[in-house]
Amino acid sequence: MNPPLLSVEDLHVSFQTDEGLVEAVRGVSFDLGQGETLGIVGESGSGKSVTNLALMGLIPRPPGRIDRGSAKLAGRDLIQMSQKELMDVRGRRIGMIFQDPMTALNPLMTVGQQLTEVTRRHFGLSRAAAQTRAAEMLEMVGISAPESRLRDYPHQFSGGMRQRVMIAMALSCEPEILIADEPTTALDVTIQAQILELLGDLQRRRGTSIILVTHDLGVVAGICDRVLVMYAGRVVEQATVTELFASPRHPYTLGLLRSLPRLDRDHSLRLEAIPGQPPDMTRVPAGCSFRARCPVALARCADDTPPLREVATGRSSACWHDDARQPAGVASISPDPSPVAGG
Amino acid sequence: MRNLVGYLIRRVGWMLLTLWIVYTVSFVLMRSVPGNPFSSERTVPAAIERQLRARYNLDAPVHRQYFDIGWGIVSRGDLGWSLRLEDYSVNQVLAEGFPVSASLAIFGLVFAIGLGIPAGIISAVRRGSFADLSMMTAAVLGIAVPNFVLASIVILLFVFILPIFPAAGWGTLQQLVLPAFCLGAPVAAYIARLTRAGMLEVLTREHVRTAMAKGLSPQAVVLKHVLPGAMLPVVSYLGPATAGVLTGSLVLEKIFAIPGMGSHFINAALQRDYFLAMGMVLTYTVLLFVMNSIVDISYAVIDPRVKLQ
Repeated sequence: MNPPLLSVEDLHVSFQTDEGLVEAVRGVSFDLGQGETLGIVGESGSGKSVTNLALMGLIPRPPGRIDRGSAKLAGRDLIQMSQKELMDVRGRRIGMIFQDPMTALNPLMTVGQQLTEVTRRHFGLSRAAAQTRAAEMLEMVGISAPESRLRDYPHQFSGGMRQRVMIAMALSCEPEILIADEPTTALDVTIQAQILELLGDLQRRRGTSIILVTHDLGVVAGICDRVLVMYAGRVVEQATVTELFASPRHPYTLGLLRSLPRLDRDHSLRLEAIPGQPPDMTRVPAGCSFRARCPVALARCADDTPPLREVATGRSSACWHDDARQPAGVASISPDPSPVAGG
Repeated sequence: MRNLVGYLIRRVGWMLLTLWIVYTVSFVLMRSVPGNPFSSERTVPAAIERQLRARYNLDAPVHRQYFDIGWGIVSRGDLGWSLRLEDYSVNQVLAEGFPVSASLAIFGLVFAIGLGIPAGIISAVRRGSFADLSMMTAAVLGIAVPNFVLASIVILLFVFILPIFPAAGWGTLQQLVLPAFCLGAPVAAYIARLTRAGMLEVLTREHVRTAMAKGLSPQAVVLKHVLPGAMLPVVSYLGPATAGVLTGSLVLEKIFAIPGMGSHFINAALQRDYFLAMGMVLTYTVLLFVMNSIVDISYAVIDPRVKLQ
């Protein structure tokens, strides 16, 4: 097997806030392979976006701080890089698109100015060459009449079109990795599907690796190869998409899957929300942070934090139940033995 | 472009309407204050006052005066004679004073912008640093210290202790420096504070993070992606501020012996110099309108979402 393109090891990020120190990311490790699409799933505040901002060196400091860990991109540690070195990585080797395309583009500059800025910066293209390149990129993401649209401002584009512009911008220097932070959350459902399809299509054609941050399991099922499930700053489960939907190991993953609305279920039943709230990140209790909401918590969950351990080839989970558990997995704690892949 | 022409036509229309209202209100107000241009410390004999009134058409019925003066302004652009500055028409007073006040104002504004904007940028980027604190303290002082105090300080420093500049007078570049500094200082302070606040506001916007994620240098991000948006409040402040600075400052003109317009503004009102006061008020109205139109147009140039109307 090829060495991973990106290898994140024991990443810790914290923020100093008025309420105290928030450990937003507490020991996240994962690998991203060449051409792989990795989904990172979790609710708000689980540390998924912070993890990615840390990779880009975009954690605002202060109040943020990377306490520990490494993130090696083709052998070089992004965490140790100077801001100057990171400037050559951002936009060039790692492209990033954000949640809300309404606010992520500069409203005072034309789309053309914003697109050409990247290639002029990284490839040293002339104005004219950058212009041609920008038009090509717009065409690639499915925007018609690209030459004339370059002169338009973001407010003259619809939400979905703006996200396409963002994608074109992020990919115009042919980065090895594209980080997509909730790329469809702010869009209409019909547009969401188009954007995901576009991402999948570009990925197949160009072989870009994608990290897709989302709280939407349907999105994950649609285009990801592998999934990390994050909870309270930690990875609680890691598996391929098929495995994750077929047999979730961690009670939190199971809860997430159960809370998805499904057409094949009796409509008189209410959706099963996970009870309770994620922990207050300024005072994360000792032990398993999901304990308070976990239907199958054990006594030892209060004291010992379950580590993320390999439970089968290529998949890992952080739950004490995995100690005793047989290959049947969480099925033993699941009243609904066949969670079906949604999306 | 067609937008702009339509906008300008509408603006001029509004300005004419406003000028008419300002004219009417000023006329009524000035005629209703007790006293008249000739009631001063020395009582003028009744016969002479009658002659003076006849000379300036002040003996006509008030509504007649209202129309005659208005017609003079509209048909000939003639604002009448100054009642206190003998042998000067209001037009002459303005023609002599305005260029003086305007050149002082332009120097003051260039200084204010050149100092205020960079100070605001540095303060915002290095928020909480020593540079930020000292510049913002200076800005508060610049706003709080009255200009006659500032003028005394700079005269003390740069005329007496370090004799670099002349104390007063008008006509040379050296004579311009100190008054322009005193005139521009509070404006510079406001600009610095507005720039800083605007920058801090824009810095939190998501598109700034996008610009960072593109690998642009911090300087490029600040200058291209943050500064233009941060300039909008500065631009709206600069409109009325420029109009105010252009009409001169009584205090600075007195201290530095500058023959500008600022003193006329106050004196005309105090001495009930009906025609000069009217001329000053109308000039100020026009200036304010022109400046605000420039502000509106600049807004549309900076922010393409703004439509001129």
